[in-house]
Amino acid sequence: MSDDLLMMLLADARLPVAGHTQSGQLEAAVRSGLTADQVPVFMRSRLASVVRVEAGTAVVALHRLRAGLPLEPVLDAWAARTPAAPMRDTSRTLGRALLRLVRRLFPDSTHVAEVAGLKRPCRPLVLAAAAATGGIAPTSLGRLVAYDDLQTVASASLKLLPLDPLDATSWVHDLLPEAERLATGVAPLTEPHHIPAPSAPQLDLWAQTHAHTTRRLFSA
Amino acid sequence: MPEQTTRNTPSRLILTESERESARSNEPTRHGLTSERADSTPSEAARGLRIGVCGPVGTGKSSLIALLCRELSADLEIGVVTNDIYTDEDARFLRSAGVLDPARIRAVETGACPHTAIRDDVTANLIAVEELEEEFAPLDVVLVESGGDNLTATFSPALVDTQIFLIDVAGGGDVARKGGPGIERADLLVVNKTDLAPYVGVDPVAMVSDAGSVREGRPVIALSRTDPASVEALVTWVRSELTRHRGGALVPADPGPMAPHFHAVGTSHTHEHDHQHA
Ligand SMILES: Nc1nc2c(ncn2[C@@H]2O[C@H](COP(=O)(O)OP(=O)(O)OP(=O)(O)O)[C@@H](O)[C@H]2O)c(=O)[nH]1
Ligand SMILES: [Mg+2]
Repeated sequence: MSDDLLMMLLADARLPVAGHTQSGQLEAAVRSGLTADQVPVFMRSRLASVVRVEAGTAVVALHRLRAGLPLEPVLDAWAARTPAAPMRDTSRTLGRALLRLVRRLFPDSTHVAEVAGLKRPCRPLVLAAAAATGGIAPTSLGRLVAYDDLQTVASASLKLLPLDPLDATSWVHDLLPEAERLATGVAPLTEPHHIPAPSAPQLDLWAQTHAHTTRRLFSA
Repeated sequence: MPEQTTRNTPSRLILTESERESARSNEPTRHGLTSERADSTPSEAARGLRIGVCGPVGTGKSSLIALLCRELSADLEIGVVTNDIYTDEDARFLRSAGVLDPARIRAVETGACPHTAIRDDVTANLIAVEELEEEFAPLDVVLVESGGDNLTATFSPALVDTQIFLIDVAGGGDVARKGGPGIERADLLVVNKTDLAPYVGVDPVAMVSDAGSVREGRPVIALSRTDPASVEALVTWVRSELTRHRGGALVPADPGPMAPHFHAVGTSHTHEHDHQHA
């Protein structure tokens, strides 16, 4: 079986993994003045920064799961590249959410068991376990991480801003080549120190501010 | 690196040995869901009773939870999860009511999808419930307040063991008769704020009897926080659900989102099984 169907399943917004609680910092950005027409730029800037870290982490973890190498250095490398504590917390909570699902889908997977045995694995590691179990290739895994982020922001934008849903989806569509570039860029990575280390201080600040606001719609 | 934890993202997300153990087994449980559902505890009767509280906006969900905390916290360990649209309004109300340690009240963001968070993707709520259960173990009861939604929202049996649906007399005397999944099939229907009945021109007795006729014998309580007998009836119901849960006799019943339809012979059912309509 090709990995297409499993990819579709994992990329589906209807997946019960708490995706609807996330805005990818868009809520905080909107609160600080980001407008509807700036959402595509916002999405692109995530692809250039936090999403590269998450995708790189996932791909390196996938390689190490398949090679039987320890995952702790990957988790450390990811944490070092994710300086905002609320962002780390969010990824770990989403990792826990996804783990509920993948343990159900792959009860006998040693890869899933290995990631479940880590202390608070981040989401990319759990995705890597699913990919290792389901035969998803590194490039596909990178695509999955990038695509999921685009759709998370697009779908949150409809809750936060006066938008036509067709616009939001066309933004995702227009950024697909960018997502593809990201995926092919991280696919060959195998070592934790290979994981890209870009910085996006504004996203970090938004994440931190958001964690302390009340009356928010989204968890992050 | 030191993990700075934020108010709403608790630090304890470590899987316990028993969680990992239960993840490995995939036995169907008594209600047909697999053991993944009781993620953090090996046995469902061993963990606390999870009670859902839902119903339209302003019918008194938070007040009822505060009331239960006040009445039960002397001898029961309680936790509360809230789902207000703007995250922590309910949590703040409950914290300020001073009836429970504020750390035991957790707000879950639903991304403006209160219905989704209790029905088709209960993950965020389940994680919050499990974290409370882990942190304050052993909890006897966890109360989950849904974000005020419409009359069709009910809890998934994957999230709660039993559920209370609230309507109030101020919403009008017709609400009970109109029915809906929560009104008809929640484990308990509460018709709240009966003290207001004279001011809104509603007959609470008729409202309860309307509700009784669509509920096929399921319990209805006409409640007012100013009426001690009604409060006592509510507390008695909660305690009896807890006893049934501990004895393993409480099987979560899904009120479902579907309205039952009526056949010529007068029997009603929901679409749980396939059949052809002529
Ligand atoms: N008169 C009277 N008022 C009540 C009673 N119970 C609750 N209320 C009032 O009803 C209003 C709404 O109560 P809440 O407990 O906030 O209702 P809720 O269902 O949690 O509301 P949302 O979370 O916003 O959906 C408040 O002003 C309460 O004081 C009651 O028994 N009698
Ligand atoms: Mg409330």
